[in-house]
Amino acid sequence: MTAQMKLGAFLWATGHHIAAWRHPKAHATAGIDIDHYVQLARTAERAKFDMIFCEDAAGLREANVGIASQTSRSIGFEPISLLSALAVQTSRIGLVSTASTSYNEPYGLARTFLSLDHLSGGRAGWNLVTSASPIEAANFGSTGLKPHADRYERAREFAEVVSGLWHGKAPGHDGQSFSVRDPLDLPRSPQGAPVMVQAGASDVGRDLAACTADVVFTAAQTFEEAKAFYDDLKGRMAAYGREPDDIKIMPGVSPVVAETEAEAREKHEELQELIPDDVGVALLSSYLSISDLWRYPIDGPLPELPESEGMKSRQALVVEQSRRDGLSIRQLARHFAGARGHWRIVGTAAQVADELQARFEGGAADGYNVMPSYFPGELNAFTALVVPELQRRGLFRREYEGRTLRDHLGLKRPV
Amino acid sequence: MHLAISLNIAAADKQAVLDFGEIKTFVRAAEAAGIDMVVISDSAEGLSSAPFEATTLLAALATVTDKIGLVAAASTVAHQPYNLARRFASLDIISHGRAGWHATMAQGSREAANFSRPEGFSDTDFRRRTAEYIDIVQGLCRGWDADALLFDKTGGRFHDPEKMHLLDHKGEFFSVRGPLNVARSPQDTPVLVLSGLSGPDLDIATRTADVILLEDGSTESAKIRFDDLKRRATAAGRDPDAVKILTNISFAPDDGPAATADRLETELRLKSCDGFNIQLTAHSALDDFADRVLPELRRRGLVREGYRGATLRSHLGLAGGGGQ
Repeated sequence: MTAQMKLGAFLWATGHHIAAWRHPKAHATAGIDIDHYVQLARTAERAKFDMIFCEDAAGLREANVGIASQTSRSIGFEPISLLSALAVQTSRIGLVSTASTSYNEPYGLARTFLSLDHLSGGRAGWNLVTSASPIEAANFGSTGLKPHADRYERAREFAEVVSGLWHGKAPGHDGQSFSVRDPLDLPRSPQGAPVMVQAGASDVGRDLAACTADVVFTAAQTFEEAKAFYDDLKGRMAAYGREPDDIKIMPGVSPVVAETEAEAREKHEELQELIPDDVGVALLSSYLSISDLWRYPIDGPLPELPESEGMKSRQALVVEQSRRDGLSIRQLARHFAGARGHWRIVGTAAQVADELQARFEGGAADGYNVMPSYFPGELNAFTALVVPELQRRGLFRREYEGRTLRDHLGLKRPV
Repeated sequence: MHLAISLNIAAADKQAVLDFGEIKTFVRAAEAAGIDMVVISDSAEGLSSAPFEATTLLAALATVTDKIGLVAAASTVAHQPYNLARRFASLDIISHGRAGWHATMAQGSREAANFSRPEGFSDTDFRRRTAEYIDIVQGLCRGWDADALLFDKTGGRFHDPEKMHLLDHKGEFFSVRGPLNVARSPQDTPVLVLSGLSGPDLDIATRTADVILLEDGSTESAKIRFDDLKRRATAAGRDPDAVKILTNISFAPDDGPAATADRLETELRLKSCDGFNIQLTAHSALDDFADRVLPELRRRGLVREGYRGATLRSHLGLAGGGGQ
């Protein structure tokens, strides 16, 4: 059997496109409708996805209330409670949630995810992020953002403590940021330990991932970027005594698929047209960690930017793309608003499958985190059109073989 | 009378740990019996072997029950208030308005030791901190007006920015800007259940709690305590009936049904409480209580038949929710 790719279904409110909620067929009330999520999870499970994936932030996404009120992203379910509900409404699919090391404590986080793991029979995973948003910081008594390196210092200690707790160690930990006396008061995980996912792509983020992650979620526009990241990260693992296959690298991909290419393009344009200019520019500003992008002419080029304390790797990606393609601020804003800097493929099932296969077989990805532009339509389209095509090519499973998320991902069970 | 059933998921003496299927069966049986709410314990002092944390368990139970209130214990040391508010607002939406938060005014040493607070808090600091914490959680839950979400696709207006309010809390222990990134929940705020009260906590409890759990004592002292709490609620500007006082009582299968019903009726008629939080000596005792004691209480007209409303607040006769 040829190697098979891993697939995650990244569920996010009304969809990954910033204007998703305005689409006539989008479920605009997604953020208050648990049944909507149960349906999405079951759709992904019927298609044999490895996991569903949820993002998280401990605060609003957008500081400008006028901008925020034109998007659906100010409200949604807190993901741990959401996934705990979905755990008993599904039976096989993995359940991965993001949670920040900046505003949690390792003992509580380890305990909560282990509980989710028990509720789901060994299907839980934690996506470790550090928080770079001043909006989040203001909800936790902090006045300024911590420097990038400090956040990662805390994250490293956090991950060590969580991993130790999951592996049943009595920590007796007294470190720089945390102190933990007892082992967890829950039994060991049905899959040995919940799966550890990471998304940071900066140098220090990559090292942390190489040392501790089971899955890495990343953003890459081109094959070359994806391949460079893949090789770099896998290359760092030997230093930590790990084999390359111990981490599954799953870049985000935002496919827009239809029966014909023209139909797919039309579908994509329909969503792009729904993005208000001020919303697009604001979203781009937040990815660039600058606040005054609106001062520049919208049809002109991106100005020179100072290096930010926020998302270093994301900023570099945006700047590189704008220079390469000679895009105006408006064009760039629309482009990024759609897929949030992730890779977008618009086309037929065969075209999408070709692209996914090329990166997978070219050693630039072990699988993909699929980011449908709007729900439920685009997830349905992917599962109905692309998944069967991948299965026909032998690139994706037709049935689950195991029970746990580690089984699906082909990860070693920790001892 | 109002009736809660305590669900201790940690393995007590000689009890096996329940798996999710068994817990589901237990809670559904309580629902079939028309109980107002189950109160789910979280970590005990000393290691338990329960596989679940209470808020995650509550979310799962919400999807397999329809009517019964679901209350989870969550420590004010283990969670930041913003995160706890998000969790419970979300649970209230998932359960369609049946969620409650059980907080304790008593400080647990285990939390402090495992949540980077090895020195713990002084009693007075812990009290002030908890009061501030509760205010933040309740304030955050009210940050979005009930009619804030518009879902106006053609006009491009998802919500009305005028109906989203910052908390802008700056206190002694916390500063929290808000707003919550979870919608207003069906009950406005999840039901707040408080326990572990000592004398200086009473004003905080009667100002903020929806339900107060008290230890069992003599009927006479309970009556004095009940009157005192209701007086304090009035002094705090609340309807005394907006705070329900439930007495913890233990029930064993071999307690006689008529004697148990007599005891509950006496306490209720003397107005020493609004109801009871039944602590079963074994999980199997639920059947005995439901099949033998409840029919007797219903025959006497002391317990309602079935659920009248859909939310926990409606079961408890509390205001709030329903777009008010």
